[in-house]
Amino acid sequence: MVSVGYTRVSEHWEKSIKGLFVEAALKALENADLSVRSLDGMYVANVFAGYLQGQTNLANVLADSLGVYDKFAISIDAGGASGALAIHEAYKDVAHGVRDVVMVCGVEKMSETSPQEVVSALTSVADQEYLRYTGITVHSLAALIYKTYLRRFNKKQEDVALMSVVDHEHAITCSHAQYPFKLSVEAIMSSAILADPIRALEVISPSDGSAAIIMCPHEKAKELGLSHVKLVTSQIARDKFNLMERDDLLSMKALIEAAQRAYNSTGITPSDLSFVELYDDYSVMGVIALEKLGLCGPGEGVELLKNGEVKLSGSIPVNTFGGLKARGAPLGAVGVYQAVEAYLQLTGNAGPNQVKNARIGLTQTSCGFNSIVVINLFEACC
Amino acid sequence: MATSAYWRTRLQRYRLMGNKCSTCNKIFFPPRLVCPYCGSVKLSESKLPERGRLVDYTVVYSAPECYETVIPYVVGLVELENGVKIVAPITDVDVNEVEEGMEVELTIRRLPEQLEGGMICYTYKFRPVIK
Repeated sequence: MVSVGYTRVSEHWEKSIKGLFVEAALKALENADLSVRSLDGMYVANVFAGYLQGQTNLANVLADSLGVYDKFAISIDAGGASGALAIHEAYKDVAHGVRDVVMVCGVEKMSETSPQEVVSALTSVADQEYLRYTGITVHSLAALIYKTYLRRFNKKQEDVALMSVVDHEHAITCSHAQYPFKLSVEAIMSSAILADPIRALEVISPSDGSAAIIMCPHEKAKELGLSHVKLVTSQIARDKFNLMERDDLLSMKALIEAAQRAYNSTGITPSDLSFVELYDDYSVMGVIALEKLGLCGPGEGVELLKNGEVKLSGSIPVNTFGGLKARGAPLGAVGVYQAVEAYLQLTGNAGPNQVKNARIGLTQTSCGFNSIVVINLFEACC
Repeated sequence: MATSAYWRTRLQRYRLMGNKCSTCNKIFFPPRLVCPYCGSVKLSESKLPERGRLVDYTVVYSAPECYETVIPYVVGLVELENGVKIVAPITDVDVNEVEEGMEVELTIRRLPEQLEGGMICYTYKFRPVIK
């Protein structure tokens, strides 16, 4: 990964999906001093353009808007995992010598719509033949997972909600965060209930944003003289989509499998990680991820949050720029934002959010309660 | 959703029709063309039991389009008498009186949402068993 470009995550009333994409893409090119012509093509990660903007065929349309006509452009839609899956594809291209210089851009525009439409859009990621025309929402499925977690490990919601508190604490000094302010447990617990027990302030909200990275082989990066970060491995695992067909609501098999494969294939262990960017679309999903990624034992995620180990100065900093909750979650772009943040950490460009001596970072990007999980491991090069 | 697409799901919606796999004997819902447990395509229709137990539930306050007119409503995880679990709306019970472990039974109810052209649509729901 030789360069990154990104917009702030926000409600960008003045920018279209094209405008967001072009801004991030041009910044990534400019930061590497590369011209559009030097790209061999691009992957575009997005979930809702077809649903919310009525724009299908997105990669083709966006590549055209960047003035890239003669190179490949492929759309990737895998719900929340889209961005990381696009990076996985670019990684394969570059690692196998299929392509030389590839851009991955995630883009999403979710703010131009009513809250009801957003719930419908988020629920559209689930199996429509089954869930459509029942009134079952993704929030209600998350609520069942949340209640199971609290009951099984005898935890309090106030403790699980600390995941969102940590996110907000890290976002205060993050210039690209959607919500750069402190959030208290009290504020979370007094916010509206979406599906009992889930509170509005421990869940992602609609975001606009775009993030782009440029990837090329190691030799090429050296030849270009660019400071770069190595993608050590990119692992994908999948699980049953219908939660009722899984053995247990908390099993999260794909998360365990992707993490184990990432660790086993590289020899990197959880204790080697300098930081983790995890997928906390709901606070409880973040807490479960802490455990399944091997950062602590089952039911101990809350302790990690309580004792401050996940802070920037802690033993395993988590969501160093605010995570999904506070940096914001433009859904298809999330995995690319996480990669951008790994790049900033590992090149020493994270500013006030810098983790000391950052060498290895893990990003976890998921879709549909870990029915798809992508784990990317990044390492500093120097 | 087109009227015909809705119509195709009538057996699962009105009769709680799932599948039984002839190879591994697992029963599942909603119906599929391939068994999610063993990959077999030798499947037969299997009507699910109409009674079960409410294992867990949530009360929904943030609803999709059309459903905002009926909040708050209950969504439950129901374990049917044959052990198959499904997520379904729970009805005929006050949100403050719904309880885990409650015995529930199938009922078919109208939804607040309509199909194209104003077609009324229905779904399975579960309600407490009145003793």
